Amino acid sequence: MNSHLAFALRGVSTAVGNKFALHDVSFELPTGYVMGLMGANGAGKTTIIRCLLGMRQVDSGEIELLGHRVPGPVALRQDIGVVLDHAFLVGDWRLTEVERTLRPFYDRWDGACYRELLDEFGLDLRAKVKDLSRGMSMKLMIAAALSHRARLLVFDEPTSGLDPVTRDELVGIVGDFLIDEGHSVLFSTHIASDLDRIGDYLTLIHDGRIVRTGTKDEVLEAYRVVRGGPDDLNEFVGVQLIGVRRTSAGAQALVRTEEAGLLGGDVVVEAPTLEEIAIHIGARVPRREPDSFMSTGRIA
Amino acid sequence: MTAIARMALLDLRTVWPYRYYWFAMFGLGILLFGGKPVWLVPGLVLIFTSQFAPYPFNVADKAGLETLYAVLPVPHRSVLYGRYAWAVAVFLATVAAGTTLAVLLARAESVQFSGRTLLTMLTLSWALFAVNTAIQFPLFIRFGYTRASVLGTTLPFAVIVGTLYKTHLTIASMQSWIALVGVAGVVAIVASAAVATTADRRARAFRRPTPNGPDRF
Repeated sequence: MNSHLAFALRGVSTAVGNKFALHDVSFELPTGYVMGLMGANGAGKTTIIRCLLGMRQVDSGEIELLGHRVPGPVALRQDIGVVLDHAFLVGDWRLTEVERTLRPFYDRWDGACYRELLDEFGLDLRAKVKDLSRGMSMKLMIAAALSHRARLLVFDEPTSGLDPVTRDELVGIVGDFLIDEGHSVLFSTHIASDLDRIGDYLTLIHDGRIVRTGTKDEVLEAYRVVRGGPDDLNEFVGVQLIGVRRTSAGAQALVRTEEAGLLGGDVVVEAPTLEEIAIHIGARVPRREPDSFMSTGRIA
Repeated sequence: MTAIARMALLDLRTVWPYRYYWFAMFGLGILLFGGKPVWLVPGLVLIFTSQFAPYPFNVADKAGLETLYAVLPVPHRSVLYGRYAWAVAVFLATVAAGTTLAVLLARAESVQFSGRTLLTMLTLSWALFAVNTAIQFPLFIRFGYTRASVLGTTLPFAVIVGTLYKTHLTIASMQSWIALVGVAGVVAIVASAAVATTADRRARAFRRPTPNGPDRF
């Protein structure tokens, strides 16, 4: 086990019936960084998180989490905070009861920290969980995670449905959390702009397979967006057009950077944004057979 | 505190916001059976404990607490056994409060009942609790409270009524079976926990989304 890694998945596959939910998934995050896990709805992000947290068994491959092989010791969960876009707590609990409920389970629970964070987030201790908005619920779960001194925060689509101000606050909270070099974050989302700001590493997932993983710059550098007229993006020898989108006004697709030089002069080739990468990869029709263009990557 | 005790405490916290409703249910049981102090404890177990002990399943189902159980640093088996521990604690609390009330009411109403009769009623209460819990818990663990609530409520009741009808059990005839009924109750609970362990494994392997759940886990 590598103590410098917050987590690593190596050749992880898991299936539901005859269909792969994850197929040969490999990626890893060094301690102290933010990994953005990006993919369309149903791509397999939550399944990866479930496998990582030991909530779902894998059929093959191995998972390392904070220096332990998963499933690791139960005490490992002392170091992990899970934040969803809703609070998985009893709706009729007041926030004081949330603390009373969680405190007995965590050795390093810090009640003063919990109250300070709620105060900082503008949450009333007397409020009930069910009366919190989505943004407030998310902040409550972050406060709980930080109060038991988690070393790894796992966010599963926390920003979907949040207003820009709250999303911005979340970015700030994650930034504060990362001041400690021993802290790491896995941030699953289908909203690319979130990762533009906080992602150090990115993993793109589609149809249960890793499309690309690496630092954010490496991922951005790996693709080019190509634009042309409606009939310009047809067949190019040696070029795989990814997620071609056609309108009456024109066509657009993603290509691998090393193949961009093979395109003709009638098309415009530009550096893509994360959003464009996400859109084109997400637009691909799911395949059953191994995908030739999809490389199972590993951070260099 | 052990993990099982912490989970039992979590069940108490889970139902705590609804305590006034359950106090009212307890009061209703006293009103219904208070006139016959001998029957107070079995009556409370039948109408209060059998509903209150599995109530954490109901709240957990609605709130998506499976995710919470999965991320808490306790072995998953503790969630299961903690719920049985919670149920036994509810039974003991019911028996303690019910017996005290029964004795006080009997004195107030000048009703005589012997220690032997009291022991018989407590054994009957234990049997009622054991049948309920042994049947309900594996069902709720395997299928969830929402899907199994009707079966989980009616099946134990049918078993109890059927047993009483078939055996023509009376207080007098039960007195010679006290030890056996007591042991049978323990065996039923232990067997139920064993069945529930398997049911829990299957439920986690084939879990469906919670009925009103935004809970993706």
